[in-house]
Amino acid sequence: MDKNEFKNLIKDAYYAPEPEKKKEFISRFRPRKVSTFRMLLQQIPYIRPYVWILAAAIVGIAIAGSVTGGEGTDKLVALIMPFTAAVGILENGRSRRYNMSELEMATRFSLRSVVIARMTIMGFLSVILTAIVSPVIAESFGMQAVITAETVLMPYLMTMIISLHIERSPLGRENGASSIVAAGAVMLLFLLIWESESGNVLYSSFISGGCGVAAVIILGALTLTEQWLTVRNVEAFA
Amino acid sequence: MDLETIYDKIYRYVYFRVNDRMMAEDITQEAFFRYLGKYGDSGSMDIRYMYAIARNLCIDEYRRIKPESLSEEMEEIPGDSGISEEKMAVREALEKLPYEDRELLLLRYVNEEPAGTICKALGISRFALYRRLKAAEERLRAELEA
Amino acid sequence: MKLSVDRITKQYKNKIAVDRISFELTEGVTGLLGANGAGKTTLMRMMSGILTPTGGEITADGIPVNTENYRALLGYLPQDFGYYPEFSAREFLEYMGALKGIEKKKAREKSSELLELVGLSDVARKKIKTYSGGMKQRVGIAQALLNDPAILILDEPTAGLDPKERVRFRTLIEELGKKSIVLLSTHIVSDIEHIADRIIMMKDGNLIWQGNRGDVSGDLEEFYLKKYE
Repeated sequence: MDKNEFKNLIKDAYYAPEPEKKKEFISRFRPRKVSTFRMLLQQIPYIRPYVWILAAAIVGIAIAGSVTGGEGTDKLVALIMPFTAAVGILENGRSRRYNMSELEMATRFSLRSVVIARMTIMGFLSVILTAIVSPVIAESFGMQAVITAETVLMPYLMTMIISLHIERSPLGRENGASSIVAAGAVMLLFLLIWESESGNVLYSSFISGGCGVAAVIILGALTLTEQWLTVRNVEAFA
Repeated sequence: MDLETIYDKIYRYVYFRVNDRMMAEDITQEAFFRYLGKYGDSGSMDIRYMYAIARNLCIDEYRRIKPESLSEEMEEIPGDSGISEEKMAVREALEKLPYEDRELLLLRYVNEEPAGTICKALGISRFALYRRLKAAEERLRAELEA
Repeated sequence: MKLSVDRITKQYKNKIAVDRISFELTEGVTGLLGANGAGKTTLMRMMSGILTPTGGEITADGIPVNTENYRALLGYLPQDFGYYPEFSAREFLEYMGALKGIEKKKAREKSSELLELVGLSDVARKKIKTYSGGMKQRVGIAQALLNDPAILILDEPTAGLDPKERVRFRTLIEELGKKSIVLLSTHIVSDIEHIADRIIMMKDGNLIWQGNRGDVSGDLEEFYLKKYE
């Protein structure tokens, strides 16, 4: 018989039953790479409904104000934004608040990814909000969209910075609502500035110069720093 | 080489040695983990190292379990698997060959491994490989002609 | 599989919680005995990859503990855990499944299976906040098994279980020990008396004894108390 026949005969002669656990094992051993994007998508359903409601309310106010020509709509929206920040940070803190951190830490993706995912979603949400709200308002009131955006963003970023910082401190760990308190404080601050004659004037000149842009950039950088520190802090166990 | 193919080949090799499907799968899976621990997860796996790891695991298994419970004979094929007479003849002939011959023929003809891989798996030189393989084939042919 | 703990140490500013502990585990059930404060939880946290050791190494077949690959093999039940208040047991398991990277459909199937296994099928859709302590603990055990872990680390898993649940749990652990590495900690000797193949004893951060269950003739409790002196 020729070589090929020989080879085939030998091949068939070795009998082994089909392995039964191959597919299952391989899917566990080399798990499909779940892309970051998919992971984000996975986390979205777990963000509490009131977050989306608040976001919708803000857009609603912006539109309503613009349509009815209510003066100061931009400032009104700006005053609510701190609470968007606070709410976002509350979402972040759910793991610790409900004592789920340890469970989440030991999973494949681990807690750090969960927190980053949540932060990213909240970040996106805020950006989208700002992007929608600012042009809408600016359009109706003949202001520049950029200036409106600055007005809306500054209280937001300030709240982010303060809240993230407090959350990491012992004070923040005791008080779940510290971010809400921070939001309230920032809101009050801006309210005082805008209610007073001189405050308003100062603010207007501040913002129409390049100062507004610079302020937003600096605040933005500080926010990112605080976020990074928070993420780094997540896995540090007492 | 994709993971499924590696699994199949290692499984067949281990099964040949331990003659038990469950044990063969356990050892195959263990080999994957050991590989990961030793060489990391770079995407592609080198089957030569897998063979080496599987081989060692089989040896460890022999040491753990009482020798009688592991047979070096080939497994009985279930009755009606529709194997032709010719194939039965080959099987019977194979059974008469020494263990080392059968191992070699498995790696060469069933798993179709290149010479380099077999050398690394069994820890022998190319020269030794060609010599032994030739001898094994000749012994098989001799049995078949008988 | 070989789970190797090599000279593992955890040092805090003013105390050493775990002091150069070494041991090796393979398939089977290992009981970790020690009083509260002996360092069991700290050790288990390090073995679960969630607490960084000050010194030493932990590997599973050579795979280091701080990798995603290791965590994919792991099922962990902490001593103390909570739950998001809006979750039912089923939703909780599916959430944990998502975090463990299990595909949605598979997670759903596995959750059903596990809820059946721990006897919570008929209350699976109720919110966890309505559960008793023992039921909550059973949810915790179920989530640890979602990814068919090769390594199962359970910290005081029998706390809060009533006698019937305890028996059921012991049977489950024995079964799991046949194919996986199971490490469970307790300060109650009777929990592991009959199911542990291996015993490790800790006191004040040190390993004071380790060996096979068979090496201990007679009463495990007595042996433990004597070693403890």
